[in-house]
Amino acid sequence: MILAIIENAFLSLIGSAIPASAVVMLAATGAMLGERVGVLNLGQEGLIGIGAVYSVIAVLSWGVESPWLAMLIGMMAAAVAGLIFAVCVVAFRASQVLVGLALALGGIGLSNQLGVNRNGTPIQTLFREVNPGGVLDNNDALSAFFFHDPVVYIAYVGLPVVLYFVLFRTRHGMNMKAVGENPAAADAVGVSVTGWRIFYSVLGAALTGAGGAYMVLSFTPTWSPDIARGRGWVALAVVIFAGWRPGWAVAGALLYGSMISLDTTAQARGWGLPFMGASDLSFFLSMLPYVVTLVAILIPAGAVKLGRRVRSTAAPAALAIPYSREER
Amino acid sequence: MTPLASIASAVLSVTPWRLERRLEVDAKRAALTRIGGAVGAMVVVGILLLLTGRNAFLIFWQALDAIFGRQRGIEGVALRGIPILMTALGVALSLRMKVWNIGSDGQFLMGALAAVGVGIHMDGPGWLVLILMAAAATLAGAAWILVPALARAYWDVNEIITTLLLNFVALQLVTWSALGFWRDKEAAVIQSTREVPFTLPGLPGANSVTIALLVPLAIAAVLWWVFRSTSIGYEIDIIGGNPRAAGFAGIAVRRRILIVMLFTGAIAGLGGMLQLSAPGAQAMNAGFSAQFGLSGFIVAALAGAAFWGVIGGGLFIASMFYAGIVLQTKGLSVYIIFAIYGVILTGIALGEIAARYRVVRRDSADESGTAAGQAASAPQGAGS
Repeated sequence: MILAIIENAFLSLIGSAIPASAVVMLAATGAMLGERVGVLNLGQEGLIGIGAVYSVIAVLSWGVESPWLAMLIGMMAAAVAGLIFAVCVVAFRASQVLVGLALALGGIGLSNQLGVNRNGTPIQTLFREVNPGGVLDNNDALSAFFFHDPVVYIAYVGLPVVLYFVLFRTRHGMNMKAVGENPAAADAVGVSVTGWRIFYSVLGAALTGAGGAYMVLSFTPTWSPDIARGRGWVALAVVIFAGWRPGWAVAGALLYGSMISLDTTAQARGWGLPFMGASDLSFFLSMLPYVVTLVAILIPAGAVKLGRRVRSTAAPAALAIPYSREER
Repeated sequence: MTPLASIASAVLSVTPWRLERRLEVDAKRAALTRIGGAVGAMVVVGILLLLTGRNAFLIFWQALDAIFGRQRGIEGVALRGIPILMTALGVALSLRMKVWNIGSDGQFLMGALAAVGVGIHMDGPGWLVLILMAAAATLAGAAWILVPALARAYWDVNEIITTLLLNFVALQLVTWSALGFWRDKEAAVIQSTREVPFTLPGLPGANSVTIALLVPLAIAAVLWWVFRSTSIGYEIDIIGGNPRAAGFAGIAVRRRILIVMLFTGAIAGLGGMLQLSAPGAQAMNAGFSAQFGLSGFIVAALAGAAFWGVIGGGLFIASMFYAGIVLQTKGLSVYIIFAIYGVILTGIALGEIAARYRVVRRDSADESGTAAGQAASAPQGAGS
């Protein structure tokens, strides 16, 4: 009996943790893509907002009926914002921290402004869960892990695998890492540092925008102000936790997602503790995702300091440092 | 040479002038170009407003009128200026050693929360309670940045994300206090904590501004003096310039980073108490900080961590903030202010870059047989 309750709770935790952190997963992959070539984009929070609000506009105002097309529109909007960011920091070599924060602020402000008349309107154009031949019917355990829409598979499996392969198994990936680690050397062998940095930060911005689109096209699914609610910052933390390795980002995102779903599950079921009522516990649990994320960032650094052997978790050496041929 | 500079030098190549990188960037000129960037950004915003069918000139005029046309406007700016100046001073202090404290919003909230805790649980003479509230707020602000500061100082963990994540924790904690453990059960409609019964005395001649306004001015003066005349300030500037060299010079870099970060948190925390002790703001709810921390960050970036510049920039941003509240009645939402902030911050960052270049008249020596574009870049290439 108790075992059944625990199993049930565990499955519902997993079942909601996976979609809850798909947004973080997409944004973390996007951020990692830029950071691998040396561009730190602190504007993830704003990009999520822009991706989300343009998907909402596409569905509600332009009559787009395919969630994929709506997501593509959100991605393109985020890519435009990412291009402005990239031109400022890569071509003009403005401070990545300042312009990144500007993008975070501006993106949140712009998306909230655009969404102001669309608050709470339910979105009908949604991604559908994958369930080939109904194999997942009546199987709670499998459903928890696999009854999700295709974007979840792209975020957790497709993107990390592709990124891992490109980064660590191809010449192209070697060049990417060179641009992020030692741009002068990459420049010397004919890799256009400016071009690669702009391209990958725009692509990364588009991925983060896809995360925002996913929020409104599947997860919430409606527009509300400040839609990202810190997920963009969590994504940046996940990249640090993962040590800039795509596979580890999955672990980081799921860690965050399980904290989020712990909160929502506890709320939905009215869980309480002997010394803490249900509502107090819920307030407490809503702080936990951020606390756990903070601790997660400290783990790799602490492990290095305490003398544990950790494989290459350092940031790309040229991260957030503008490159200029005349100054190297 | 950046593409911008390349384009500029290509344009200039048909004129008797050329673009040259400065070897040293003058602080005063950098301040001017940052301000120029901010002003340019506002022009861009005005054009965007015009393009979306709003009369930017009218809006600008109405905002100016709302601020300077009456005493209420000026006091409104001063009221918003206090929290913005406090967080900005904290951020500016950390920027002196190239540490980005983006968590000043959280430190501000925790300071206010600690002040509420003291204020609603203590009996005694008002002045004593207020002093204790200020002390609690200062400690709480410092405590809130303790973990990021330790991690940055001793584990080299980047402080940007860690300080920022704690903002969300602080916001949840404040929400919890307002709806949970310190909730005012009498007030059914507005969900906030109980009200602190004490306020700071008002400034002579002011309706709503209290002596809290003097605190950021005093702190700016002290910080200005510390960095102008003391070895501590000098050492912090050295750490900001080159931490490795500072270490070689025998400065305890890690301890300095820790202490300075704690101070930045403390200043922001005290800002929370000052905000709380204004008449009419004596209780906390989830909306207690209207992104004061981020506004303060922009101010510090605009001022380039010069403390007197923070005062000027703080009042500028505070008047924008106040204008934004006024403009809401004219059909613009509060969100547009944050979008404008983003554009301004970008303008500041670009202005900072512009300070590194200058346009000089080409003399004949430069042109000996080289194309204009190369002439512009060759001297620096050889120099580095």
